[in-house]
Amino acid sequence: MATPGQLMFARGLGPTARLLIWLLIGVSCVVVDSRYHALDGLRIGFSLLLRPVREVLNAPGEVASELGGFFTRHRLLQKERDALLAERTRLLAGMNEARELARENAELRALMQLQARPGQQVVHAALLYQGHDWFAQRITVDQGASSGVRSGLPVVDASGLVGQVSRVYPQSSEVTQVSSPEQLTPVFVERTGQRGLAAGIGQGRLELRYMPAQTDIRPGDRLLTSGIDRVYPAGIPVGQVSRVSRSQASPYLRVECLPLAGIDRLRAVLVLIAAPQVTKP
Amino acid sequence: MSTASQTPASWRRLLGTLTLAVLLEQLPWSGWMLAIRPDFVLVGVLFWVLHQPARIGFGTAFFLGLLVDFQDGAVFGQHAMAYMIGVYLVLFLRLRLLQFDPARQAAQLFPILLAAQLVVLLVGWIAVNPPSGLAMLLPVFSSTLLWYLIALFMRVWHGKGLRDRA
Repeated sequence: MATPGQLMFARGLGPTARLLIWLLIGVSCVVVDSRYHALDGLRIGFSLLLRPVREVLNAPGEVASELGGFFTRHRLLQKERDALLAERTRLLAGMNEARELARENAELRALMQLQARPGQQVVHAALLYQGHDWFAQRITVDQGASSGVRSGLPVVDASGLVGQVSRVYPQSSEVTQVSSPEQLTPVFVERTGQRGLAAGIGQGRLELRYMPAQTDIRPGDRLLTSGIDRVYPAGIPVGQVSRVSRSQASPYLRVECLPLAGIDRLRAVLVLIAAPQVTKP
Repeated sequence: MSTASQTPASWRRLLGTLTLAVLLEQLPWSGWMLAIRPDFVLVGVLFWVLHQPARIGFGTAFFLGLLVDFQDGAVFGQHAMAYMIGVYLVLFLRLRLLQFDPARQAAQLFPILLAAQLVVLLVGWIAVNPPSGLAMLLPVFSSTLLWYLIALFMRVWHGKGLRDRA
């Protein structure tokens, strides 16, 4: 009830006014974040705050998979071990050859006075979290600035290129996947050597852009990074052409590809730390 | 439910459920589970706005929205603004919503949750990229279902029974 000296209908702002004020704050947040990247400090704060929580919450899943692994059948394990041993022998043989080639390559490059390729140091990272963002496909991994990860570095798994580090926090970092919309990757077609630009189009697919209509390309062709941008080292598998079609309206072919890296099922990735002259994306 | 307010216990319950919602959202979801994951934080916020509007309002919702934005690697403000719209609509329809049984309440929450998700869609579209497909509307359905389950649980919790009409 109103007491003397108090207005009968005195009250705070109505919900509509408060909504408008908060929406204004929201819009300014969006603008400040997307145009000026001025809220990175807040992101780092959140990441430090939530890191222990995320690690704890990852534990049940890990325990479950450990338990599942414990009950894997013995014979299955033996079979896998045999396959791995065979593969190891093959890889060792290949490695000797590669070492020889690398030595020869270094000599030839020295002779031709070419710039050495960026060195490759890797940081192992485990997949921490898959983002729920419908506008850019990102994953969060558990290594950050403290282990030398920088924005712009390439991230790979055993089968191909996963993406590029886009945001770095002290203990974790966000990786934009190759299939994320507007994520560009310079590639070449393995079979013909034709260079091109692969762009993510979302939903786990890529598109090879600006391929003239007479280009020799067909489904099944593999795309490797061309390395001309000096961001990605050359020769990392990126994707495989899944469909080639020609449209009447455009002078270019429409080439759809699927990424080779197991983005939906990966657990661990490698961040490639190249020499420091890496250009920012 | 709103009668059981003004006690420290309800503060504890409020903070507890919101923390639980944030934690659930932090779980390492992936694959189709991620695609249909309900927006736990939004449902939690709207629930408490409905039942304790004096305690949870725009400010808390905005902060939690920013947290979810960080969580999804989205642009800051995207979910925060969506939550603002949700809170406003719930405040606007509050007296009406409180009169319904769980199923009907959930049915009336559906358009509110949909509006919030459409704001997420719109802001992302303008500020980042065009969205890829309409799969992002799936969580609206699971959130509605979650609301129904929570409302049902509250009803049983308060001893009103399943068959009783409010």
